[in-house]
Amino acid sequence: MNAPAGLDFAGIPERIQSEVQRAIQRSIKGVEYFSTSGPMLGSTPKDVLHSRGTMSLYHYRPMSDEIYRIPILIVMATTNRGYILDLVPGQSFIEFLLKRGYDVYMLDWSAPRPEEKSLRMEDYVLDFIPDCIRRVQQDSGEQDVSVIGYCFGGVLSLLYGSIHRDGPMKNLICFTTPIDFREMKLFSNFSDRRYFDVDRLVDSVGNVPPEMILSSFEMLRPASRTVSQIQLWENIWNDEFVKSYRMLDRWATDTLPLAGEYFRTITKDLMWDNKLFNDTMSVGGRAAKLEDIKVPFLHAVAEHDHIVPYEAAKHLIAKIGSEDKEEVMLKGGHVSLVAGANAVKRLWPKLDSWLGKRST
Amino acid sequence: MTDKSNDPIAVWQKMVGEMEKGFNSFANQAMSSPEFSQAVNRAGGVAAGAQKQLGELMEKYLVSMNLPSRDQVTGLAERLQSIEGQIGEIKSMLSQMAASSGISQGPDTALRPPRTKRPPSEGGEQA
Repeated sequence: MNAPAGLDFAGIPERIQSEVQRAIQRSIKGVEYFSTSGPMLGSTPKDVLHSRGTMSLYHYRPMSDEIYRIPILIVMATTNRGYILDLVPGQSFIEFLLKRGYDVYMLDWSAPRPEEKSLRMEDYVLDFIPDCIRRVQQDSGEQDVSVIGYCFGGVLSLLYGSIHRDGPMKNLICFTTPIDFREMKLFSNFSDRRYFDVDRLVDSVGNVPPEMILSSFEMLRPASRTVSQIQLWENIWNDEFVKSYRMLDRWATDTLPLAGEYFRTITKDLMWDNKLFNDTMSVGGRAAKLEDIKVPFLHAVAEHDHIVPYEAAKHLIAKIGSEDKEEVMLKGGHVSLVAGANAVKRLWPKLDSWLGKRST
Repeated sequence: MTDKSNDPIAVWQKMVGEMEKGFNSFANQAMSSPEFSQAVNRAGGVAAGAQKQLGELMEKYLVSMNLPSRDQVTGLAERLQSIEGQIGEIKSMLSQMAASSGISQGPDTALRPPRTKRPPSEGGEQA
């Protein structure tokens, strides 16, 4: 009987030996995995500059002898925690920025309290962000502020920038920011206005529970959680793999609830009526048109983003009114674009080279 | 170096990867249908309704036990939040007053590096 084509029988004993060693390592490391906590995340030294309900404003302590004149305010997505941008030393976007001489502030969110269910889009765009900008100006002594928005933090930054046309935002950077919500096909289908009664949901539960947000993200790739656990078991002998898995898994499952009224507006104005894309969006009665954003603008998108597909983000660059604008597409997914080993090599240096010369 | 096409473990890993892609793609197709949306939202609506009813029942129970109702606790929380907001405003006003009268606001401000950095291409510096 002939050997099946392509199989290398000579290499099999060596491979078996290596697999036995890995199996032993898996047993040892598997016990370690369940008996230890993961790496400490978000540990770059910072001060809480201001905290009000769901909103917190941090200032990270500078790590450079000389810093750029213009400070940066990072606006985090309201569904997730900001420590994705500050994982561990060497894999922290915040640490990278500090070492490159930027003065960094972050607008981060905690779970809205039950009584905050009435927070509206207006509270985020016309109160929280302007309040943080004022405090950054006050703390830094500078009038100009660069804004970086990640995912839905990008949407909030766009709304803020399009309404506050006369500054003080000096530069705007968005990471994976959707504007054409029809193109977020599965989210669009989940919230189909014929079947999804958002009023009933919000009136019943108040704040939208994090489990619901998490399951809607997980439903985009339903097999991936199981497969990632298989991959974890296969690679549990590999400390680097396990560290990275624990960091990203902890963050991904640490989803925040959304304030009810805010969720109602997102569903009706963005998911159903696609108002940001159609130039009909308004917040608190003030028109928010992307063409009114005139500051230097950078949009970084990920080639394999399953949460914000390129189709949902691609029109942003054309609709922005700035003359100085650029879109950059990088390899990676929604999270690996901004965090992890690939971001260190791709997005971060690109951002530094773009922003450095606009920060003096 | 082992040829990955001959390595049974690599073949298994590739197969798992392909299965993941295939299943995700199949599920995405199924979830794109209006029927799926209808079914999911019907189930979600029932759960939300049940949750509301349970909440109302619990509130009645707490009242009968002479415990504060949810509305009362929420009212207290709102008052606390308003106090927090006012403290924040007072803090902010004090900082502004301190800044305008030249009073140092702690060691942190004094120790901040100068805002004189230029990008590497302008200053010839390599980060």
